[in-house]
Order: sequence, then structure tokens, then C-alpha cells
Amino acid sequence: MGLLSNRQRSNLIKSYLYILPAFLFLLIFTYYPIFYAIFISFFRWSTDYPQKVFAGVQNYVEILKGDLFWKVAWNTLLYSVSTIFISMALGLFLAVQINKKVRASGVFKVALFYPMMIPLAAAALIWLWIYIPTYGLLDHLLSGLGLPTLPWLNSTETALWCIVAVGVWKHVGYYMILFLAGLYNVPSELLDAATVEGAGGFHRFWRITFPLLSSYTFFVFIINIVDSLQSIDLVYIMTQGRPADATNLMVYYIYQQAFRYWNMGVGSTLTSMLTIFLLICVAVIFSTIGRRIYYEV
Amino acid sequence: MVQPLKKHSLLAYVVLVPFAFVMLLPLLLLVSTAFKTLPELMSIDFHWLPEALSFDNFRKAMSVAPFGWYYLNTIIVVVMVLAVQIVTISLAAYAFGRLKFPGRDILFVLFLVQLLVPPQSVVVPNYHTISTLKLLDTKIAIGVVYFASAYGTFLMRQAFKAIPKEMEDSVKMDGGGGLTTIIHVLLPLAKPSLIAFAMVSLSFHWNEFFWPLIVTDTRKARLLTVGLALLSQATESNPEWSLTMAATIIVVLPLLLAFIVFQRRFIQSFMHSGLKG
Repeated sequence: MGLLSNRQRSNLIKSYLYILPAFLFLLIFTYYPIFYAIFISFFRWSTDYPQKVFAGVQNYVEILKGDLFWKVAWNTLLYSVSTIFISMALGLFLAVQINKKVRASGVFKVALFYPMMIPLAAAALIWLWIYIPTYGLLDHLLSGLGLPTLPWLNSTETALWCIVAVGVWKHVGYYMILFLAGLYNVPSELLDAATVEGAGGFHRFWRITFPLLSSYTFFVFIINIVDSLQSIDLVYIMTQGRPADATNLMVYYIYQQAFRYWNMGVGSTLTSMLTIFLLICVAVIFSTIGRRIYYEV
Repeated sequence: MVQPLKKHSLLAYVVLVPFAFVMLLPLLLLVSTAFKTLPELMSIDFHWLPEALSFDNFRKAMSVAPFGWYYLNTIIVVVMVLAVQIVTISLAAYAFGRLKFPGRDILFVLFLVQLLVPPQSVVVPNYHTISTLKLLDTKIAIGVVYFASAYGTFLMRQAFKAIPKEMEDSVKMDGGGGLTTIIHVLLPLAKPSLIAFAMVSLSFHWNEFFWPLIVTDTRKARLLTVGLALLSQATESNPEWSLTMAATIIVVLPLLLAFIVFQRRFIQSFMHSGLKG
């Protein structure tokens, strides 16, 4: 610090002071928990072991050896990727339609966006009722049409997709709005120039609009993948992971281990695995494609 | 000025009208069910319109669960979180967006880590922290993990950076420091971003479920969403769907009404927040 004058030093301290309040909360509730979870992951700590007992990497070995972990990991990936992919694709498609200067666009926006204003927990209850056998809306509609009813949440083949449908219903309007914001920013001169050159609607979209949206789409995609990997409200209320763990997702699995079976060792191990996995994935993605997309636009 | 329908927008209606209708079905079912009686629900014939307009289910829902408490708790938590967040993000965004100091960029990246490790993913260790701090079953416990917001800091930093340096000059000439600059120059000029952040934060925390579920045990700190889930589970063996749907309406109505009344504001805020974020 000998190189700095008093004035510079006090400016430096002031700069850090502005950051300090936020940083303190991040320290206690974001950075510390990551390290605490990693620390606890090396111990047995459960109802069988009320006192922590050092176990090396035993928790990791047991988790990775078990079938359930892989099933849950697969379900989580399937849920996140399909929910986000379907809602983004639909959201983009609908945004392009609304952007065609339709009348009463406000009504369409409200009808598509309102699920975002409903808590996921409440949405889960409404949809649980829709999926209920015989008396639920879907079975009523099917039998009204003279068709056989479907097992919806009760079959291992359909249950996860029923949950994906709720996720899409909840988020499609959000993506539609984001893409609409992006579309407003596409310079109309560019599109007009392309029309003059004889480019058709599909061509204009694919060659001009889509690339301009892509940098922005990419970041939205990353943030939402991360977000959906954490989703638990739907599972907690609609299925509790049933049938046969077909809808058990990672955060629910962590919840089961930590707060149902009070196995904090395994709960912490799963937490640190999820966190490290996310940090590595995002670091890799940003240092490869992320940078490229960002600079291209 | 009514413009004639163009051919390509006709196609848009063909897509949008049925889609909007399907999206609205759950809402229609919610309202219709809340006014029905048990025999109506258990009938093989399905009607959208209830036989009578009776508020019995709502009265019953209010009497089985202390929704008044849940409302109060939810409002307190949501307002508390937003108030603290505005202070922490404005200060941090000022340092990141307007000042130069060693380590700034590394610290900023460290802040963004919170986007990847949101509080619901570290529920297990945070539960221990909250329990060590003797904060279990309090409203502070629900809010405190959100007091710093990487997303908010990012949004406000972008907004502050876009404001020309000269705007600060008058404050500097009067001898004012950073706080004066933030309060009198930057925040007023960054109002659209601030409003966008406020809307997103309010709706996010109004809707939150899992973390409040884990850290609360009694009506003294329980939120609306948690109370609703408990009510529905209490009747799980013989689900009274009309009661559950009435309770759901009680929970979702304020935000939904606010959204319908201020839809332009809400939608603009979400657009703005996504555009910058």
C-alpha cells in the first residue's frame, strides 16, 4: 500500500464499502454454503450417525453406485431440456405471430403471460385437479368425445410429460415476451432491404431475425436451464416423485434425503455435486460458445 | 383508424386464438370449480357453469386456514426483501458501474455466481446456517437469503453505466459524495430499470414456495403458497377440490388482478428485465 497516496487509499476503501453489504449476504448465503456442503459431503451424518463421522468419499461412491441417482439425474435433464426447449420454441413462434401487428395484441399477451403471475405451487394444484382420473377436466373431455381415458400422472410413461406440460404452460408467455422485446430491436431497414432483394418471410426470419436474437437467446437459455434444474414445487405438490420415482427430480431428491430421511451427509453430497456440475458446465459453455456468440453480434 | 386485415396477420389469428383459449382453460376451470358443490364435482356430467353462485367454499377455506396471517406474512416478507435489495444492489451497482478500483471485475464475476447457485439449490447448508443463527420459523429467515441479488446488481449496473458522467458534475461541485450521487442522480435516471427489478422481485417472492416451506413451521411466519399446499394436503385422502380451488383463488387473486390492471407496466418490466439481463 506504500505506493498509494492517502487519498487513493481512502477512495479504494470507499469503493469496497459500497460492495460490502451485498457481498456479506453473498458470503453467508451463497459462497459459504457451497463450501459447507462440500465439507459435510465427506462425513456420515444422519439419524444413524447423529455425530458426524468422517467417511472420505464414501457418500459419493454410494450415490454414484445407486440406480436411483442416475434415474433422477436423467429425469432432471429430460424435464429441464424439454420444458425450456418447447417453451422457447413456442414462445418464439408466438412472438413472431403477435409481432405481425395483430389487433387486440394486449388480450393475447395477457392470455399467454398470466400463468407467470400464478405461483408454481398454485399452478401445481390446478393441474393436479385437471389430471385427476375420471373427474378431472382431461378425462371428462376424453370421455365426452367417446375416447378412452388416460392414466396421466399415474403411469411411469406419461407422468413426467404431464409435469413438463405444466412447466411449458407456466413459462411460454415469459419467453414470448422476451422474444417480442428482442424482435422490436431488429432494425426494420434490414428486413425491408431483404424484402427488396426478394427474400421470403421464412428466409428473412432465419437469416436476419434469428441470428440477431441468438446472443440474447443464449443467455436466457443458460439462466433458465439453471433455474429449472432447481424446480421442485411441481414435484412436491403433484407427485412426490411417484410413480416409481418416474418424476423424482434432483432438488426433490435432495429434499427427500435431507428433510424426509434427515440424512444430511447424502443431502450435502448431492448438493455439492449439483453445484459443482453447474459451475463447470457454465464455465465451459461461456469459455467456448458463449464468447463467440457474444462477439459475433 | 381501423386497418384492413392483412393476409399474413390472418394466419396469426388462426394460431393465436386457439392457443390463447387453451392457455386460459386452467383459469376457467379454477373459477368454475371454486363455485361448485361436492356432488356437482363428483358427477359424470361436466358443466362449466356451476348450478348456483355460492361463496360457501371461500367462506370454508377462510375458516380452515388462517389466510389473514398468511397474507400479512407474505406482504411483510416481499416488501422487506425488496427494500433491502434496493439498498444493496444500488450501492454495489454504483461501485461496479461508475468507479474504478483493483479487483472490480473479479468481484463482479463472483457476484454472478449467485445466478448459478440460487438459494433453493443450497437449501441444505442454508438450513443449518439459519438454524445456527436461531432464525428458524421467522420471516427474516425467508427473506435474508435474497438480500443480495446478483441479477439486480447486474441490471442496475447496466442502467448506471448508461448515464453520462456529466450528470454527476453538479453533485460533485456541491461537494456531494457517492451516496448523494446515487440518490439524487443515478436512481431517478435509472427508474425504468428500478421498476422492472421491483416488479420481477415482487412477483418472484410472492410466488415462492420451497425455501419458505423448509424454514417455517407455524402460522407466525408461513406464507400464502405454503399455507395453500398444507390445506390441500390436509384433505388429501378425500380431496375437496372445490375447497382447494377456492383457496387457490384467494392466494392468486391479488397478483393476478394487479397484472390485469397494470398489464402494460408488468409486461414492459419483464421485457426490460430480460433485455438487460
